[in-house]
Amino acid sequence: MENLLEIRNLKVIFVQGNSVISAVDGVDLDISKDEVVVLAGESGSGKTITALSITKVLPKSAKIVSGSANFNGMDLLQLGEESLLNFRGKEIAYIFQEPTSFLNPVYSIGNQIIEAIMLHQNKSKKQAREEALDLLNLVKIQEPQRVLLDYPHQLSGGMNQRAFMAMALACKPRLLIADEPTTSLDVTIEAEILKLLTDLKRKLGFSLLFITHNLSIAKRIADRVYVMYKGKIVEEAGREQIFNSPQHFHTKELISAYEKIGRI
Amino acid sequence: MINYIIRRLLGIIPLLLGITIISFAIIHLAPGKPVTLQQSLNPKVSLEVRARLERLYGLDKPLHLQYINWLKRLVRLDFGRSFSDDRLVLDKILERLPVTLIINISALIFIFIVAIPIGVKSAVNPDGLFDKVMTIVVFIGFALPTFWLALLLMNLLGIKLGWLPISGIKSLDFEYFSLGQKILDLARHLVLPVFVSGLGGLAGISRYMRSSMIEALNQPYISTARAKGLPKRQVVYKHALRNAILPIVTIMGLSIPGLLGGSVIFESIFALPGIGRLFYEAVMMRDYPLIMAEVVLGAVLVMLGNLIADISYAYVDPRIRYKK
Amino acid sequence: MLMWTRGLGIKNKSLLIGILIIAVFSLIAIFAQAISPYDPSQIDASKLLMPPSKGHLLGTDSLGRDLLSRMIYGARISLSIGLIAVGIATIIGLILGSLSGFYGGFIDTLIMRFVDIMLCFPTFFLILAVVAILEPSIFNIMIIIGLTSWMGPARLIRSEILSLKEREFIQAERAIGASNFRIISFHLIPNAIGPVLVNATLGIAGAILLESGLSFLGLGVQPPTPSWGNILIESKSTLGVAWWITLFPGLAILVTILGFNFMSEGLKKILG
Repeated sequence: MENLLEIRNLKVIFVQGNSVISAVDGVDLDISKDEVVVLAGESGSGKTITALSITKVLPKSAKIVSGSANFNGMDLLQLGEESLLNFRGKEIAYIFQEPTSFLNPVYSIGNQIIEAIMLHQNKSKKQAREEALDLLNLVKIQEPQRVLLDYPHQLSGGMNQRAFMAMALACKPRLLIADEPTTSLDVTIEAEILKLLTDLKRKLGFSLLFITHNLSIAKRIADRVYVMYKGKIVEEAGREQIFNSPQHFHTKELISAYEKIGRI
Repeated sequence: MINYIIRRLLGIIPLLLGITIISFAIIHLAPGKPVTLQQSLNPKVSLEVRARLERLYGLDKPLHLQYINWLKRLVRLDFGRSFSDDRLVLDKILERLPVTLIINISALIFIFIVAIPIGVKSAVNPDGLFDKVMTIVVFIGFALPTFWLALLLMNLLGIKLGWLPISGIKSLDFEYFSLGQKILDLARHLVLPVFVSGLGGLAGISRYMRSSMIEALNQPYISTARAKGLPKRQVVYKHALRNAILPIVTIMGLSIPGLLGGSVIFESIFALPGIGRLFYEAVMMRDYPLIMAEVVLGAVLVMLGNLIADISYAYVDPRIRYKK
Repeated sequence: MLMWTRGLGIKNKSLLIGILIIAVFSLIAIFAQAISPYDPSQIDASKLLMPPSKGHLLGTDSLGRDLLSRMIYGARISLSIGLIAVGIATIIGLILGSLSGFYGGFIDTLIMRFVDIMLCFPTFFLILAVVAILEPSIFNIMIIIGLTSWMGPARLIRSEILSLKEREFIQAERAIGASNFRIISFHLIPNAIGPVLVNATLGIAGAILLESGLSFLGLGVQPPTPSWGNILIESKSTLGVAWWITLFPGLAILVTILGFNFMSEGLKKILG
């Protein structure tokens, strides 16, 4: 199957004053159409930076030193900011860890979703509002009319994450990158969100790059798993293989960490 | 939000009480009775006026009763009569209040319009050329005695170049102007006073805007905005600015005392008929009823300004306006 | 720019500049008698309103007095007023702030309410009102400015003490039975003094500014005693005619305040 996204030899550094820290040290990663790829590793392993590098939405202190990110044949890392705007939110969308902090507190949910819609689609405000309501229904939010007018602080973490998903999927992206979307949610909500995510994937047809430090999630949803450690990919395998015969010591560490809590 | 407003309004009452107590205490600091002091300075004060003063202050009664009587009169807006021309203090203040209000509100608007773009531009490129230059300008601005600047500008723009008038609030032949000319004339007279009044607060607020903006730009929702595909301009002005500007409203409330204090000097320099200059004249003439009224008024204006700023903040920040 | 300072091992340029400036002005103030070319109150009717020249480096005023001499003595007046006024304000602030922070509860609420009320008054209004009652004199001005500027230091000390109160070394002192007074004076205040010093440096600048404003209005230092502020009184009437009377005193105030601002920036870096 042809690859939707091919990352080759990605190297990213942090520059702070005179010191340079390597965040991502030569990462190769593939995602094919309709695939669920889990990128696992502990905090600080470089997973988030890898994900953010794909569309170059990195913090100022981060610099991409080398590598390529071929999306449908086009190397995104070679594109300028202007051109990248056509991919962000449209072809490739993100959802993040703490939805309430990642949503703008001074604008209503509706405002932020409508903004996403009108940014990439030629719709009037009225049409966009209609579509926003449809999206909220899609993510199984009750009372979408009310939620449209609510502000992030008025909703729970779970609700905000659903709304965030609605916003991310507004323009039917081909790749959804989810950076630890359930880490800050309760276990029961986490299960709901995961189910919603997989349902939506089936319905809308996008590839999913799911970042987490919790391998039990990988067990539930992954097609393939990459394990990242200190900026490098240390293991890559299909779901069954990763759990039945893990090779790298860190993979084994991650698995045993979760077996201890009894979640796997 | 209603709860917040009610609580804020209730909180004012002890403040008002405190303001009156302190004002009262200050006046009665005088080693001698205010009346005798007045008389020693102004022997023309007749026996009748002196008797009226005694009654006004109830100087024969114990201090706390004097305070309560004074308070009762205050509530009815009875500030007594001016020593200098025997007119009602209230009238004298009311006729001068508009000028001061216009100047200070214009100064606030001026600060708002100038400080915010400066702060934003500095924050978007921290340590860039603009930021470095502005840091120096602001640093010097903090050290600048603004009344000195007023004198320099009067010299340069008023006398040497003749571009702007340097005294009063209207020209001599104001009465013969058309409406448009009248407005222009007033504006020309107010340019320098508003400018130098506002300059004091400008430095501080642009600094504050800068740090508020830098903090806003570091927030997670900015990553979201960028990831959505928003161009930089919208990320900065629609998402970051709207958050960064919230505390500015309250901060600007904090510059009100400085503005009012400054009005004493600036209205004197520019010969403007406002309450600042009225206060100055009252002090020169030891016009105690007027002085007391002005002290209370000044504090009340500051308090009102802060109240408006706080309520505006509650309105503008959805997290307070719509509590869960 | 000041690269050579690194060679000397001096990292804190701001502090250096600040100290230099203040040192220069302080020396001028202290040695006024020795430095001043003329007697500041010496009137010379033949030399009225003369621009800067060899004999009078900064020119003369409308009474023929040498401006440079007046400004040198003015430095002494302005600096001492600033210093003492801030000293008073800081002491009051230290006392009230530490009582407030240490004891908390009712005392804290009372003192903080008092601070809130005082902050409602435009400082200048307060000062002017008191001046109206107490006749302007150098002594009175120092006290008045001090009495109206203590709120900042009070709040600062209070918050410092609040955060220090629960630290281990304080618990240790209590455990060995040290009295409250001892804890406050010898342990809490010395550790909290950093921000207060920074604030005081800025406070001196502010006090000088206040004094010059007051003197300019004729309600501060009374002529013939020279202060940078009251020299500027003449500039109103000589506007456009004698630029030196307007320029130099204001410039002196500006540079002095810049000096204190540099110093406080420098102190901030050291004291954190």
